[in-house]
Amino acid sequence: MVIETDNKEITNSIRENAKKLLSENQVDIVIGYSQGTIPLSSTLIIVRKEEDVDKLIWNNLCYINLARYLAPLMPQLCDSEGNSLRIGIVAKGCVGRAVNLLAAEKQVNLDKIKMIGFNCNGIVNRSKIDLEIGEKEILDVSISGDDIIVKGKNWEKKFPYDQYINELCKVCQIKSPSATEETCVGECQELDSIHDEFSDIAEFESKSADEKWTYIKDALQVCTLCYSCRQACPACYCNLCFVDQNKPIWFGKTTEFRDILVFHLVRAQHLAGRCVACGACSSVCPVGIDLNIITRKLEKIVKERFDYTSGLNAETVPPMMDFKMEDAEEFMLEED
Amino acid sequence: MTETVLEEKKVDKKWEPKIIAFLCNWCSYAGADLAGVSRIQYPPNIRIVRVPCSGRVNPYFIIKSLTDGWDGVVISGCHPGDCHYISGNLVARRRFAILKELLEFFGIEPGRVNFMWASAAEGERFAVLIRKATKIVKELGPNIKFQKEWC
Amino acid sequence: MEQKILKKDQIGKLYNEFVGEYNFFAPINKKGNVAFEKIENPKDIVLDYLNSKIPPKSVLFPQNEVLFEYTLDEKDVEITDRQDLDQKILIFGIRPCDAYSFELFANFFSFHGNSKDEIYLKKKENTTLIGIGCNNPRSTCFCTSVGGNPFNKENMDVFLTDLGETYLVEGISDKGKKLIQKLPWLSDASKNDLKKAEELAKTAEESITTKIDVDAIVKNLETSFEHSVWDEISESCIGCGSCAYLCPTCTCFDVIDETDHYNNRGRRIRIWDTCQSCLYTMETSGHNPRDTKIQRCRNRIMHKFSYYPTNYDLLGCVGCGRCVIVCPANNDLRVILDKIKNIEKKEGEKVVA
Repeated sequence: MVIETDNKEITNSIRENAKKLLSENQVDIVIGYSQGTIPLSSTLIIVRKEEDVDKLIWNNLCYINLARYLAPLMPQLCDSEGNSLRIGIVAKGCVGRAVNLLAAEKQVNLDKIKMIGFNCNGIVNRSKIDLEIGEKEILDVSISGDDIIVKGKNWEKKFPYDQYINELCKVCQIKSPSATEETCVGECQELDSIHDEFSDIAEFESKSADEKWTYIKDALQVCTLCYSCRQACPACYCNLCFVDQNKPIWFGKTTEFRDILVFHLVRAQHLAGRCVACGACSSVCPVGIDLNIITRKLEKIVKERFDYTSGLNAETVPPMMDFKMEDAEEFMLEED
Repeated sequence: MTETVLEEKKVDKKWEPKIIAFLCNWCSYAGADLAGVSRIQYPPNIRIVRVPCSGRVNPYFIIKSLTDGWDGVVISGCHPGDCHYISGNLVARRRFAILKELLEFFGIEPGRVNFMWASAAEGERFAVLIRKATKIVKELGPNIKFQKEWC
Repeated sequence: MEQKILKKDQIGKLYNEFVGEYNFFAPINKKGNVAFEKIENPKDIVLDYLNSKIPPKSVLFPQNEVLFEYTLDEKDVEITDRQDLDQKILIFGIRPCDAYSFELFANFFSFHGNSKDEIYLKKKENTTLIGIGCNNPRSTCFCTSVGGNPFNKENMDVFLTDLGETYLVEGISDKGKKLIQKLPWLSDASKNDLKKAEELAKTAEESITTKIDVDAIVKNLETSFEHSVWDEISESCIGCGSCAYLCPTCTCFDVIDETDHYNNRGRRIRIWDTCQSCLYTMETSGHNPRDTKIQRCRNRIMHKFSYYPTNYDLLGCVGCGRCVIVCPANNDLRVILDKIKNIEKKEGEKVVA
């Protein structure tokens, strides 16, 4: 498996499928990724005409979850009366999961969405590379063979691809969207469930309470509460976020550690059973906080308790919108 | 309060935890009332907030109590199958499961937040469980991790 | 001006000289991000940096700042104002673009002389800036297009030039010159040192590749409020506010009250806010004049490049390039300004607002 050749194939398949959808009038517009203007970045592109499909790319730096633009639906994706256009969306596995999740929560109409599926080969871990390079300007990042080549003014550094991708990408099992052939062109699969041992967070879970607290405090302390993670998350589409509520004011908004901790704790609670493990929250953080262990824990909780993995289809009711008489209650206080 | 002041509180043998209890009106609140009427003794550390159903309890209440300085939180509702509103406690149970696992994951002592079922006829059970919860919280000491810093 | 030399291993000595009198702020490394914080140990100081992630506005205009505290008893409310505003502050290692941003702050916080923000203005009065010139501007920097320069000494009190093993020290303002006199152990600069500094300044200015025709943009913005270009510009924005938080000239803030009702006390805090937040212009009536992303994106650009020139005769951007680097959706400001520059003179379609 050579990443560089895979990327070329994926890019070609995305362009061909996008062209097909537009020329056969199956969609009105296609949204996907295009080349970023600075290294380690990519940007959104809305393709309206067939001749523009060559601007679509795939290059392991496409970390934004495109489903984020579907709810709330951007005006640029609507017609003049405010109704949704027919949208083709370039879908790596987690984007497909997010679209399914939004459909299950009745936020998007799957009839208006066509996923352009492909087998994602991971996203480069921007903050890890930035940390390694330090205070030198990165002028170019490219994939050559199975390596990430980072270049500056008079220097060059090589990183092995499989060690420098996002932590969530390392354990990802849903690389292409889980969808039927009606909803998806290109690579897709129909999954009912996946099997996951969650061995990557087993070490963290075995730590003592104090050790966990120290780790979390150390990781979250630099947070500036800019809410980029919330804005980049496809599952965070509330009109009024809990931090902005003022009738009553629940939690503080300063950068004291208690306020930072509470924001991340409550956001995690709200994402239980809904997080699609796309890693966009960690990729967009301006200070490089990596929330992957929280994401994995959320997936573990719902898998073990309710045998549920988010985003596999649009029919299964998400666990927090449901309840069963037989739910486990081993955590309840009981008489001795 | 600064961390040093709270550490001193821990050593003080006379320190008593303050625990807030959200009790559902139809079962647990009545159960607590029965305990009182039957003169069953249980620790006076809890302050009761009556809610219509344990399903009314929003995780915000629990976390806000901890950030406001309460040392422990107890939520009590009807047994599954007995909810006055049919399924409120079942909804709550899933929420509590997630919250409890997340609190533990973040390194916050799991014993601070306790969930229990107690019906209107179970005055004795109510007292026993509150005694147990108070003991757990007392051993954990004052709530330092969650408190805001007022200098 | 007298020119002196500071050896790089003498920074600790400089720190020890001033730490008694000043709150000493300098760049440190916070988990890979350079930020300006109060220094306890001079070894933490990082001077070999391109520019800080979090701008030095955080020293005088922190993310959260207590405005006053109050306690309640049965009859009265007792308010305690800030007691620490007379403390002297020294910001060491600031770049010319960031030093200039404080000039823009002065306009904002003393709004036309009518209402002055005492807290900020008092702190600024007690602040001394020791800056360092940029030997290696980033490819995303464009200070020269907005009236700045990588070696602009105007807004500094003391200016340092990195000569390799040493720094050339120049006192710019009276405050700065007095400060240098407190360091009699600094050696004198030689003619070679001065020549090298000049060469470094010239090379740095020439190495700035991003050039923006700001005059054309300001002119175009006067007539483009309803133009359809804003549609395109705001497409990829996710409304996160990182650009505003990390911008050295953004000053918007929210004021919140925190109460500890169990102890009858509270405090009023001001926190950073961003016009990119969907609730920024939400009014009590429920009406929100800027409830679409397009309007909010437009507002940010207009504020920096149109309203500021109109009201203060200054540009609201210092060309530091932080917004370009940090934007998660890569909504590059240089691309935006380019699109605005190329607006044709005919009437555009009405914005989908």
